[in-house]
Amino acid sequence: MDHFPTNWGRPRNDAFDAYGTYPIHQRPQNGPKDAFVDGVQRTQQPIVTGTSVLAIKFKDGIMMAADTLASYGSLARFKDVQRLFPVGDNTVIGAGGDMSDFQHIQTLLDGLTIDEFTAQDGHTLGPAEIHEYLAQVMYARRSKMNPLWNALLVGGVKDGKKFLAFVDLLGTTYSASTLATGYGAHIAQPLLRKAVEGYENVLTEEQALKIIETNMKYQVAIITEEGVRISESKTLDTHWSFAEGIRGYGAQAQ
Amino acid sequence: MTSIGTGYDLSASTYSPDGRIFQVEYANKAVENSGTAIGLKVKDGIVLAVEKLVHSKLLVPEANRRIQTIDRHVGLATAGLLADGRHLSNRARDEAANYRETYNSPAPLKDVADRLGLYVQAYTLYSSVRPFGISTILGAVDQDGPALYVVEPSGVFFGYNGAAVGKGRQLAKTELEKLKLSELSMRDAVLEAARIIYLVHDDAKEKDFELEISWIGPDSGNLHVHVPKDLFDEAEAKAKAALETFE
Amino acid sequence: MPAMVSAAQPVQRSFNPYTENGGTILAIAGADFSVIAGDTRQSEGYSIQTRYAPKVFRLTDKAVLAVNGFAADGNMFVKKVRQRLEWYRHAHAKDMPIRAIARLIQTMLYARRFFPFYVYNILGGIEEDGTGAVYSFDLLIYFKNQTPAPGTAFPKHLPLSTVLPLVIDSFTSATERHIEVGDGLEIYIVLSKGSTALQSLQTIRGIQELTATNDGERVFVIRRELKKD
Repeated sequence: MDHFPTNWGRPRNDAFDAYGTYPIHQRPQNGPKDAFVDGVQRTQQPIVTGTSVLAIKFKDGIMMAADTLASYGSLARFKDVQRLFPVGDNTVIGAGGDMSDFQHIQTLLDGLTIDEFTAQDGHTLGPAEIHEYLAQVMYARRSKMNPLWNALLVGGVKDGKKFLAFVDLLGTTYSASTLATGYGAHIAQPLLRKAVEGYENVLTEEQALKIIETNMKYQVAIITEEGVRISESKTLDTHWSFAEGIRGYGAQAQ
Repeated sequence: MTSIGTGYDLSASTYSPDGRIFQVEYANKAVENSGTAIGLKVKDGIVLAVEKLVHSKLLVPEANRRIQTIDRHVGLATAGLLADGRHLSNRARDEAANYRETYNSPAPLKDVADRLGLYVQAYTLYSSVRPFGISTILGAVDQDGPALYVVEPSGVFFGYNGAAVGKGRQLAKTELEKLKLSELSMRDAVLEAARIIYLVHDDAKEKDFELEISWIGPDSGNLHVHVPKDLFDEAEAKAKAALETFE
Repeated sequence: MPAMVSAAQPVQRSFNPYTENGGTILAIAGADFSVIAGDTRQSEGYSIQTRYAPKVFRLTDKAVLAVNGFAADGNMFVKKVRQRLEWYRHAHAKDMPIRAIARLIQTMLYARRFFPFYVYNILGGIEEDGTGAVYSFDLLIYFKNQTPAPGTAFPKHLPLSTVLPLVIDSFTSATERHIEVGDGLEIYIVLSKGSTALQSLQTIRGIQELTATNDGERVFVIRRELKKD
C-alpha cells in the first residue's frame, strides 16, 4: 500500500502496473518532463493534411465550410474526412493542417466537455471559451517546440453574441467577420471580405450559403442561437472545360 | 455491540478471532444512518432517487447534491457520509476518463463498478485508513443498455434490477419488488421513485428532506441529468397524494 | 568548384516557433502627458489576417503598453504582465508605478534569454512625480527615452496639440510606405494629475475615456481609420 496520501486518488493505468505493485520510486511519472530531454521525436512537418476552411458571419450566426479531402503529400489519400467538429451546443471548429493532430484536439475537447458536463453546475462552454482553451494549448505546444500542426477556425453563437476566431500552430490568434485557412486565406478571403464586411448583420442564411458555395466547398456547418447543423458531404458542380484551352503549363502535345 | 472493548475494532487491518473486520461493519452503520437512495433499472433507462435529509433550514435548496454525474452516460447516488461520496465520485470520474483515454470509447458500467470496487476494498486493508462510510448506487446506459450496480463499504459490488441503500432500504426494497421494472417506462419509473422516497421517509424522526431524482435514457438524450422541473414537480405532487391514500 | 551535396545526407529540418505579424507602434512623452499609438492591422507576409487586432493595451491608469512583433508572444506577454500587476495590486492595494513596471518587463523579458518573446515593447505613461514617460524595450532590455540632449538639463517636450497631429500624420505616411501598416489607428493618451492638456481633448472627435481609478491620472483613446489596401 502506498501510504503517501498525495499519491492517492490518481487513476490507475491497467496497461502498466495494474495492481500497484511497483515501489513508489519506480512508478510512472506523470509530472512535467525535462525540457531538454533528447532522443524524442517531435512533429516537424504535417503528414496527412487537410486544406482550407472558410467561415463568415451572417445575420443569425456563423457559417463555416470545409472540403472533405485529406491528402498525403500530393496524393488524395482520404476522400471523406470530416474537418468540421461540433463542440457542445454552440460551437463548431474547423481544421486545416495535420489530421492526426486534429483528431488529438478532438479528444482533448471531448474530455473538456465531459469535465464541464459532470460538474453539473449550470455552466456550458461557449465559442469564446473553446477558442481561448485552444489558443492556450496551441501556444503551449509551440513553446515546447512540439506543435500541433493545425490552423483552426472557431465559430459559434452564445447568449446572442456571434463569435468567429482563428488560432494556429504558433498560437497566433485573431478574429474577423470572415476567416479562411490555408489556400482559402489567399484565394477566398478577399472575395469573402468583399461580400461580407459591413453586412454581417444583414446577410440572410440563404445569401450566406450562396457566398460560401461560390467559394467551392463540400460540407457546411451553420451555427445559430438554435444550435449546430452540419450538412452531409455535398458534391459541387464544377466546370473544368476551360482547362482544355490553357497553354503553357504542364505537359502538352503542342 | 460485542465488538466494543475487545480491541479488534480499532483498525481495519486486524481481523477479529471469528473472522470479521469490525471497521467495515461500522462503516455500514454510517450508511444505515443516512437518507435513503434508490435506483431503478427499467425498460430503456435508469432512474436514481435520493431522500436528502436537510439538517438546517438555512441550507440553500438544491445544494450538496447526493446524485452526481460521472460521465455523459453514468450517474452515481450515495448513502452515507457526504464527503466520502464526493471523494468517490471524483475517483469514478477519473476512472471513466481514464477508460476513454485508453479505449477511446465510453466506459461500460461494469468496468467503472469494478475499478471503484477495487478502490473501496483497498481501504479495508490498512491500519492507516478508514473504510468508506458509503454505499454507492451506480447507474448508466452503456453499450449493452441500462445497467445498475451497488458498491458497498467492503468493496463488494453487485448488479441489480432495483437497488435501495440507507435508512429506509427495507421498505424501499419491498416496494421495488412489487414493480414490474422490466416493463416500466422511464417516466413511470420517475413517478414510482418519487413515491417510494416519500413513502420510506420517516416523518417522526426526520422532519425535513429534499427529493432528488435523475435519469439516463432516450428521454434525456442518453445523458445523466436531473429530471426536468415539470416532471419533477408532477412526481413530487403525485408522491405526496399517494402518501395520503396509503395511510 | 562547389562540393556536390549528397542526397543521402541527413537534413536538419526544424520547426520555426516564430513569425512576424507586422504593424507599427510609437510613443511620445510630453511634460505632463504621454501618447502611445499603434495601428490595428495584423498580417503575415502578404496576407492580412485581420483589420482589427489591438497592439496597445491599458495596463493601469498610469501606464499603457504597446506590443509589436510576433502576435502570439505579444498577447501572452501582455497577459503575463497584467497577471503580475494584479498580484501587485492584491499585495500592496495600489497600482504599480510605471518605473517599476518598466523594470518588471525587463526582468520578464530577460528571464526568457534563451527562448525570447519575439516582441518589441513600448511602455508609456506618467511617473510618480507627474511627468510623462516613455520606456522602450528590445527583446531583452530597456531604455528610458527622452533623456536630455547633450549639454541640456531637460529633454525638450512638445505640447499635446503638436503631438496628436504628428502621430496621425506619421501613421498615414507609414500606411502609404509599408504594406503591413494600415486599417485602423488607436491612440492612447495618458494625462498627469491636473494636466492642462485636458481642455484641448474635449473637442476631439470620437474620443473615449478609459480611466478606472480616482488617482488623478486619466486615460483616453482616439480611434481613426487608416487606408485598407
